[in-house]
Amino acid sequence: MIAKRADTESVKAEYRVIGKPLPRHDAWGKVYGETKYSNDYKLPNMLYGKVLRSRYAAARLLSIDTRDAEKLPGVVSVMTAKDVQNNETVTRFGQTHAVGGFEGLYRVLADKKIRFKGEAVALVAAERRDIAEKAIDLIKVEYEPLEGVFDPVAAMQPGAYQVGEDKSNVICSYKVRKGNIEEGFAHADVIVENTYRVPMVDHAYLEPESGMAWLDDDGVITIRAATQVIEHFRGVADVLGLPHNKVRVIAPMVGGGFGGKEDITVETYLALLVWKTGRPVSLTYTREESIIAHGKRHPYIMRYKTGATKDGKLVAMEAELISDAGGYVYLSPWVLLYSTVQATGPYDIAHVRVDTHTVLTNNTFCSANRGFGGPQPCFAYESQLDELAKQLNLSPLEIRKRNYLHTGDAMATGRVLEHRVETEQTAEKVLEALGPPSKPKSPPEKIGRGVASSMTSYGRMMFLHDTSRSFVSLDLDGSVTVRCGVQDIGGGQASSLAQIAAEILGVPLSDVNVYIGDSALTPLAGTTTATRQLYMSGNATLKAARVVRDNLLKKAAEILNTSPENLDLKDREIFIQNHRKDTLGLKKTDPECNVNYGGTRKAVVAVETCVDDDSDRVVALEDVVKACAAEGMPLFNVAQFNAPTRELIDFKTGQGKVFADFTFGTQAIEVSVDEETGKVTVLKIVSCYDVGQAINPLSAEGQLEGGALYGLGYGMMENVIMEKGITLSPTLAEYLIPTAVDAPDVETIMIESGGGVGPFGAKGIGEPSCVPTAPALANAVSDALGVRIYELPITPEKILKALGKI
Amino acid sequence: MDNTEYLRPSNLKELGQIMAGHKNRATVIAGGTNLIPQMRNGGKSPELIVDIGDIQDFSFIMEDDGFISIGAATTIAEIASSDIVSTFSPILASSARELGNPLIRNRATIGGNLANASPCADTALPLLALDAVIRILSPGDKTRNVVLNNFFHGYRFTDLGKGEIITRIIFPKPDDETTGSQIKIGLRNAAAISVASIAVMLTMEGKICRKARIAAGSVAPIPMRVSRVEQLLENQEISATLLEQCKAIMKKEISPISDIRGSAEYRSYVTAVILERNIQRALS
Amino acid sequence: MMTYSIETNVNGRPRAAEVTARDTLLDVLRDHWDVFEVKNGCEQGDCGVCTVILSGKAVNACLTLAVQANGKDVVTAKGIGSPKEPHLLQTKFVEHGAIQCGFCTPGMLTSAKVLLDQNPKANRQEIREAIAGNLCRCTGYKKIVDAIEAAAAKPES
Repeated sequence: MIAKRADTESVKAEYRVIGKPLPRHDAWGKVYGETKYSNDYKLPNMLYGKVLRSRYAAARLLSIDTRDAEKLPGVVSVMTAKDVQNNETVTRFGQTHAVGGFEGLYRVLADKKIRFKGEAVALVAAERRDIAEKAIDLIKVEYEPLEGVFDPVAAMQPGAYQVGEDKSNVICSYKVRKGNIEEGFAHADVIVENTYRVPMVDHAYLEPESGMAWLDDDGVITIRAATQVIEHFRGVADVLGLPHNKVRVIAPMVGGGFGGKEDITVETYLALLVWKTGRPVSLTYTREESIIAHGKRHPYIMRYKTGATKDGKLVAMEAELISDAGGYVYLSPWVLLYSTVQATGPYDIAHVRVDTHTVLTNNTFCSANRGFGGPQPCFAYESQLDELAKQLNLSPLEIRKRNYLHTGDAMATGRVLEHRVETEQTAEKVLEALGPPSKPKSPPEKIGRGVASSMTSYGRMMFLHDTSRSFVSLDLDGSVTVRCGVQDIGGGQASSLAQIAAEILGVPLSDVNVYIGDSALTPLAGTTTATRQLYMSGNATLKAARVVRDNLLKKAAEILNTSPENLDLKDREIFIQNHRKDTLGLKKTDPECNVNYGGTRKAVVAVETCVDDDSDRVVALEDVVKACAAEGMPLFNVAQFNAPTRELIDFKTGQGKVFADFTFGTQAIEVSVDEETGKVTVLKIVSCYDVGQAINPLSAEGQLEGGALYGLGYGMMENVIMEKGITLSPTLAEYLIPTAVDAPDVETIMIESGGGVGPFGAKGIGEPSCVPTAPALANAVSDALGVRIYELPITPEKILKALGKI
Repeated sequence: MDNTEYLRPSNLKELGQIMAGHKNRATVIAGGTNLIPQMRNGGKSPELIVDIGDIQDFSFIMEDDGFISIGAATTIAEIASSDIVSTFSPILASSARELGNPLIRNRATIGGNLANASPCADTALPLLALDAVIRILSPGDKTRNVVLNNFFHGYRFTDLGKGEIITRIIFPKPDDETTGSQIKIGLRNAAAISVASIAVMLTMEGKICRKARIAAGSVAPIPMRVSRVEQLLENQEISATLLEQCKAIMKKEISPISDIRGSAEYRSYVTAVILERNIQRALS
Repeated sequence: MMTYSIETNVNGRPRAAEVTARDTLLDVLRDHWDVFEVKNGCEQGDCGVCTVILSGKAVNACLTLAVQANGKDVVTAKGIGSPKEPHLLQTKFVEHGAIQCGFCTPGMLTSAKVLLDQNPKANRQEIREAIAGNLCRCTGYKKIVDAIEAAAAKPES
């Protein structure tokens, strides 16, 4: 079970490790260049893998001739679809709980119809990378090009080109129905209706998709890959027709995920080549492959009609969202469901009608990307709100305050927000922090300010019956080991578990070692997606650590001749609580104490020191551990955290409960816009979230800062430009993300309401932090210029067009 | 694909011999920032790479006899931080600071930037506006000079013949009456390929413009001088009306294309805007 | 296949390899010498994760031919400091939370090292400009700039 609020508060008063800006345990290896990522391993006899990709976005695959490639000296294996035992499987969602409805076809290697340019057609393994590249060029593929369809609206029409083998390109549609939409608009004094477009974007993590695999001594295919989901071992085993326990996936530190390493990337290719050759194989995508051939964030077309009364109360919202899924289904149905549930934003609206569709086209397939269907509608609903505010002569803050959902209110889906909702506070804080407006430097410069709020779920959909497991143990010297199958993609997923264990077991953070990301050796913790690891694995680790702690306290109570509830644990000592508090009152604390960190490494961290001399009231942790061990009391625990569950919602009305909780926040941006060139300069950006409880404020701030810049890139420059299925921006010189000189210093404010469902009342912030940035930017630009840009990214050219200059 | 040869002459004499012997197969690099990615993509497979990056005689920034001379293998970073360049041709210094990113600037050279002959070559515009001359070493130790304005013949096509290399770039030190300005429009603040660029040098006599040099980038197949705008400005008092005329003529003289970075109409519009802004800055 | 013998000094250690004229310094560092702290992110000079210090200058190893590095000194993140002797920049990166996924970190540190060697009192804007060739997708750059600024403010002891 999750931590109860009252319980949390009683602990909170004495947090020692939680809430401290401690250096993350993984940071040292990273600064010394010691951390080994997926492409940083070699084994003897290792081969290099390479993928042949389709030249066409829509084509029939007529024949593949691999003979010349096979003859090339140094080529060990060439594989095509016919060599794959189960080339077609369906992606199923959930770990233990099969959910009906939408199952995405996963085709390992193309046969029959090519659905997007860059689709994998054949695999090569060779002694050297250059030989593998050469072999790819020698494979002769005969295609019959087909017309294809590249626009989701066109793809929805009857008679449209069929991307796949199904009857329709429409993968699925959802509805939300609340109240009576006609009645709602009849009550509205002002109605605004606009169409918004958002582009396809790439994750642009610095580490491309990469992995290396080998057969271990027991014949287990072991894959060490950059992934957010080690549990793809099951899907990989299914492709090869092997028992699930014959495939093992290890995730080392991942060089950025953002959802792009949520689907299988290199894992299946590696497994196939290893199984065929019996030799280790390494495979890393080029940047171009990464951009053209892994899942993207969906482009959306969104028509929003929003009505409000004279006094700014929203009364009706009608929204139609169409998402371009690209060539394969992957996670599109779920991304769309997130968009559907979150289509009304953090607002209370009496009458709602939402219709959403996701559609196959011959573009690069789309799947998970930070925010998972949240950023797209947020751009639309927050732009709409400012348009209404303008017509009603209300400030952007005022119209929002009149419509925010509060704790206990019901969303449009009927779901009651029983946990803390602090959106209004976040909005007030960002505007306060923005301070007085800047002055324009020269006449063509116009200053504008914008604000946008969002609510974004954390944790997976409840009907997936999500679980996580974590193992916590104490060694005889009092050091702590956590084993948990999380994938650490840079957000501090592992380090936060260490902090939780250290807090509960009363040891310094440096005494905790964490093993992560191994589907065979660490308890399975589920995916590092959906902003769920702190929530899920944090709770599992908390639960396991508490069991161990209870055992320790029980034994210590015997030693100290008291009862366990009188005891506390700190700095590797167990002591009688009142006694310790008295002692603390007399002692000086030294906030800048040097502690040994990770063996030879030193770090300056804030710790409290306490010297105790009263030995009959205090016992060393190590002594209690030894006493437990002598008596066979378990010094370890594996705990499973089960997320609260609900059954599938009603897809005809959207009514039901999809998520355990949401994270609420607001961002505000001040821009200067050059009216003559259209150039936008972001002068200030403030981001405020109710994070529940920051487990590590440095990491939490890092998420808020990085999320805001991720969102700003979406707002200002990012765009996977496709023309008839061909990516025109396949490098990081064309697909632009912000550099250090594009990035303003993001000011962050964290509210810690303690009202989340994560450990210690934490909420998730990884994805929520990037959601409202683009609309805040759009609103700021609109405020500066008096005209609105309805399509992301907001480029200088679009601004000049909106101003009627071109 | 693996038969590419590599030679790194350490002085001019060695270079001359290599170029004489291999003029039909030599690809000259200094930093290599243009060629290396093209080789990696498989697009280019030179037979012989001649690396002039180590030739000391090619790496210098000199001021003498009223001229500034810059060795072809001088890096963009050296130009960006050179006191001589900043003093005598601040527009070259600022365009160097805007080329690529700091890492690329440490490898890329001015000779390479010109020889690559991209329409968006950042240093070409100030050099065109500065009336720069390119000194070229031809096979047989012959040297010839080409006015930069005659150097670019077409899209990625220059006056360089087989076996020829740029050795230095020379331009006159502007006098006290001559001022310049340069503006590059890119889609982000660093590591951005120019969408439109203008460099301007104006020689003023009181309120009258005696000499004008206007160079435009990314709006034609080559980095180009815009002579008709120059003629319009010369011997005239620069007024608001004249600026409007200049902008109108500018739009007629350029031939921008639409690509992923911007449409032709955007390039055309913004080129006129930065032309005016440059002239105003040069005068202020 | 035409090959060339090259010798360099990587973080003070002499290294030699037989390379082709097409091999980049990045190829030889990673494939021949197992210098894995130099990352491969794009091979086009667009991302900066392969930044090394070559003869005192921060450059993209992917935009440098291996043969061009012949006879030169190469310094990577591991050459800047080590667990036994951390460089102030490394300590400040850790303390300021400038590390997330860590993939840009070795390159970022090498750019920062050269900056502070040349301009020990670099301000925030100078720091931003110096790392403009090093993309980071996780942090939003703020904590990286904070860390470099903190290292710049205090002289190294």
